[in-house]
Amino acid sequence: MKDSLEMEQPILTDQPLSWWKKSLNIRTACLYLLPSFFLFAVFLFYPMAKTVYLSFFLTDQQGIANVFVGLENYQYLLQSESFRKSIKATILFVLYTVPTGVMIALALALLTNEKVKGIGIFRTMYASTMGVSVAASSVVWLFLFHPSIGFFNKIITAIGGESVSWLLDPSWALVSISVTTIWMNIGFSFLILLGGLQNIDEQLYESAKIDGASYLYKLRRITIPMLSPTLFFVLTVSLINAFQTFGQVDILTQGGPSESTNVIVYSIYREAFVNYQFGTASAQSVFLFLCILIVTIMQFKFGEKKVHYQ
Amino acid sequence: MRKSIMFVTMLVLLLVVAACSDDANSENAEAKQNNSSGGATEGQQESTEEDAGPVEATFWHAMSGAGQESLEAIVDNFNDSQDDYTIVPEFQGSYEEALTKFRTVAGTNDAPAIIQTFEVGTKYMIDSGAIEPVQTFIDEEGYDTSILEENILNYYTVDDQLYSMPFNSSTPVMLYNKDAFEEVGLDPDNPPQTFAEIKDAAEQLTIEGERYGFSILNYGWFFEELVATQGGLYVNNDNGRSADATEATFHGKEGLRIFEWIDDMNQAGTYGNFGSNWDDIRAAFQSEQTAMYLDSSAGVANTIETAPFDVGVAFIPHAEEAERHGVIIGGASLWMAKGINEDKQQAAWEFMKFLQTPESQAKWHVDTGYFAINPAAYKEEIVKQRWEQYPQLSVTVDQLQATKPSAATQGALISVFPESRQQVVTSLENLLQGTDPQEALDRAAKETNRVIEQQARANQ
Amino acid sequence: MNGLLKKIALYLVLTITAFVVFFPILYAFLISFMTGGELLQGNLFSKSFHLENYQKAFERLPLAHYLMNSFIISLSVMIGQLVVSSMAAYAFVFIPFKGRDAIFFLFISTMMIPWEATMIPNFITIQQLDWINTYQGLTIPFFAMAFGTFLLRQHFKTIPKELDEAAQVAGISRFKFFVKIVVPYCKNSLITLGAYSFLTTWNMYLWPLLVTNNDSVRTVQIGLKQLRTQELATDWGVVMAGVVVVIIPTLVLLFIGQKYLQKGLAQGALK
Repeated sequence: MKDSLEMEQPILTDQPLSWWKKSLNIRTACLYLLPSFFLFAVFLFYPMAKTVYLSFFLTDQQGIANVFVGLENYQYLLQSESFRKSIKATILFVLYTVPTGVMIALALALLTNEKVKGIGIFRTMYASTMGVSVAASSVVWLFLFHPSIGFFNKIITAIGGESVSWLLDPSWALVSISVTTIWMNIGFSFLILLGGLQNIDEQLYESAKIDGASYLYKLRRITIPMLSPTLFFVLTVSLINAFQTFGQVDILTQGGPSESTNVIVYSIYREAFVNYQFGTASAQSVFLFLCILIVTIMQFKFGEKKVHYQ
Repeated sequence: MRKSIMFVTMLVLLLVVAACSDDANSENAEAKQNNSSGGATEGQQESTEEDAGPVEATFWHAMSGAGQESLEAIVDNFNDSQDDYTIVPEFQGSYEEALTKFRTVAGTNDAPAIIQTFEVGTKYMIDSGAIEPVQTFIDEEGYDTSILEENILNYYTVDDQLYSMPFNSSTPVMLYNKDAFEEVGLDPDNPPQTFAEIKDAAEQLTIEGERYGFSILNYGWFFEELVATQGGLYVNNDNGRSADATEATFHGKEGLRIFEWIDDMNQAGTYGNFGSNWDDIRAAFQSEQTAMYLDSSAGVANTIETAPFDVGVAFIPHAEEAERHGVIIGGASLWMAKGINEDKQQAAWEFMKFLQTPESQAKWHVDTGYFAINPAAYKEEIVKQRWEQYPQLSVTVDQLQATKPSAATQGALISVFPESRQQVVTSLENLLQGTDPQEALDRAAKETNRVIEQQARANQ
Repeated sequence: MNGLLKKIALYLVLTITAFVVFFPILYAFLISFMTGGELLQGNLFSKSFHLENYQKAFERLPLAHYLMNSFIISLSVMIGQLVVSSMAAYAFVFIPFKGRDAIFFLFISTMMIPWEATMIPNFITIQQLDWINTYQGLTIPFFAMAFGTFLLRQHFKTIPKELDEAAQVAGISRFKFFVKIVVPYCKNSLITLGAYSFLTTWNMYLWPLLVTNNDSVRTVQIGLKQLRTQELATDWGVVMAGVVVVIIPTLVLLFIGQKYLQKGLAQGALK
């Protein structure tokens, strides 16, 4: 019905007109969607299709699919201990980094949402990690974690503790990488959440104040619900980033020790770029795709319902 | 109306992008010229290739840091030395990343004339069919390879053909803290040489909570070397040199001795685990957290230079049960691409020869610590000075020259080497976490066999 | 009295957390002034200040050139993503058509494709287009972004439907409505998305290495890689100097931009 108000549509003949007019929306939509679609087709769908195709083959060293093996690559993955370790590492990594990271960022944002003198400096300091690239921060943390001359172990031994093999002990390595990742993401999450907090209508708090509501009550009843779209956004970003973490693993541990930090994306990289096993690498990619798909569907189904849009 | 605006927007967008790319291309050419500004007359590069102007050949390498600096200086020297050829060095990331790129351009005109590949990529390069064995040029010209270090050439010689020109070559050596040796009453001039001796010394050198006796980098290369020095083979069919390897053999008695030895020390708390990062283990040694460790010969000079104590260099240890066979060469070599312009191949060949001159090799050796492929370089003045300053350096060369040529010390030839290496590292890490030595080793062997078999199937 | 105590406590918490968060950056600064030997002893403060590391870092690599490239590439991707994503988001919110939800879901699903999985086919595509060593090879594959579309869709949804209807009654074309009303209305989310895409692009690490063969369009992240070595000893002082050089421009940009960023974000409140 709105379409009839569109003024500038070329009017041809009577009969095709209705069809032409009916399809107006879809044609306009296509136009707006075309750039995205075109790029997706070339740089995502096509390679993904190729990946799925390759996952049914054995490839030779030139990467050419030579032998059709059906589901063998998948079967291999399911019984491969390394792959199980990869899944475990990925899940743990997501669990370690996403909730903690968002919580810390939220705490910092709440802290700096207080209007006191000099708060700008603190905001800048918290946001600063956003300006440090993955490669740069990984290098710095590599040094902080250094087993013998790193800052952390220096401090620990100075106060009489026993030095920790941050990146060398399988039970610590993933934690160390998670700490690094949380640090790297703090800046961005913090800034977005702070922006969200400042968007909340002051009047809501004023009226709560009159009612004599406690800080926690205000937090639970006003801040969190009003912040929910922003929180949802930050959570989604963190989740995607966590699943696709690569740079810090490559620089800090190369997937070791004992494959404890061999997250799936890194495992795919190794399989494809170092071992030239495109078949199994592709099978892993398909698997990862399915995993993220499920997680995202769940997130949208359960998460978005809780989000309040103004 | 609005549609046309849309299209215009899109068009503008595309044009901007296209313009950017033109910029990039011209800048690209500029960068190339800048790179080679040392050589050849400027401005001629863009002219026709046949007449006038030097032939430009690209050289893909994986050298970063000090290696890159020295390499670029040598390339400049080459470009200055003559007017016919210009070599353009281009960094391509790690060996793996360089190889990945090479794989997609191999056999096309985009391929670089020279590519540097790590030693474990040798079999892959030979099988790829995208490279021209340097033997072709050696035969054509009657180039005398006997001036080059035999133990290095052996690695890259397959079926009596020298496939690639050795370049950055190194071997493992053992470094130890002489001051610490004196402190605990060990003879600093007589370092331990067998597994058992190392174990004893490590026990004496260990100070609980402060210093470990002995360490090895978690890197497959050291394991391979320790197998070879006992005369053990990594894979069957004479290390894959008489026929394609079909099975791993590194989990035999030689390999097991190594794993058990490491396990014993680890259990006793005398073995320090400093991970798989070269810099970490060196820092551990320098800050006296480990008293002995295995390092690459290429890292020796720097360690001696920066350590605040007296550093000793020794041959790598071997098991009592086996006599010393020596070491396998590590590092990388230079390969010539096939299917590119013949002029470019010629340029590559000329450059490779230039690299082997004693002067170039002497500079390379002094700058980086990698071996001189041409032993005549050791007689050059700068090398002599260097050795006078660090007499320990000669140990690395002695060890290489004392190596007995055999299938074991020639090194294994398998195309899935990078993966196998990774599996050994994982097993080593598992071992340090308490897995049984034989079990850990068998796991790596099983995985290696699996990929060898898969490769064989895919190549049918 | 209580208020004062509270304030002191707040400042104390702020200071401690700020120090903890900022420490790694500070640490990189401190180390960049050390010589090799000092560094390996594991001292925190240098006995004397050395600037040689910076000199070496600049001598070794065309860092300024790399920074420029990083900047150009990040900016292009940012603009490209904003244009492409906002157009798609507009279609999803304001143009009703059959199968919209299905197509939207298809879009979202692309978010789940791990980039590493598509890298090799993409690399071959770029090579066939002859885009190796060009800006477009580094930027165009990233122009379409499901995530951006998703984010903007969420914000476009907050625009009252009546506005759209009123615009149509007034005979304002869709494109005009999009540019004149939707975009200014959602400025804050566009700024957020812009910052996000700029930083993600700035961070790219593996792809720039793959599609460039020489220095012409290489980015700073590759520069950092070149400062580290494998078998030879890494000169950590120089690496840290490189790190500092690489992070200073983005930090400065962030310090300047933060106010605008916050302002942009805060403007949403005025809706």
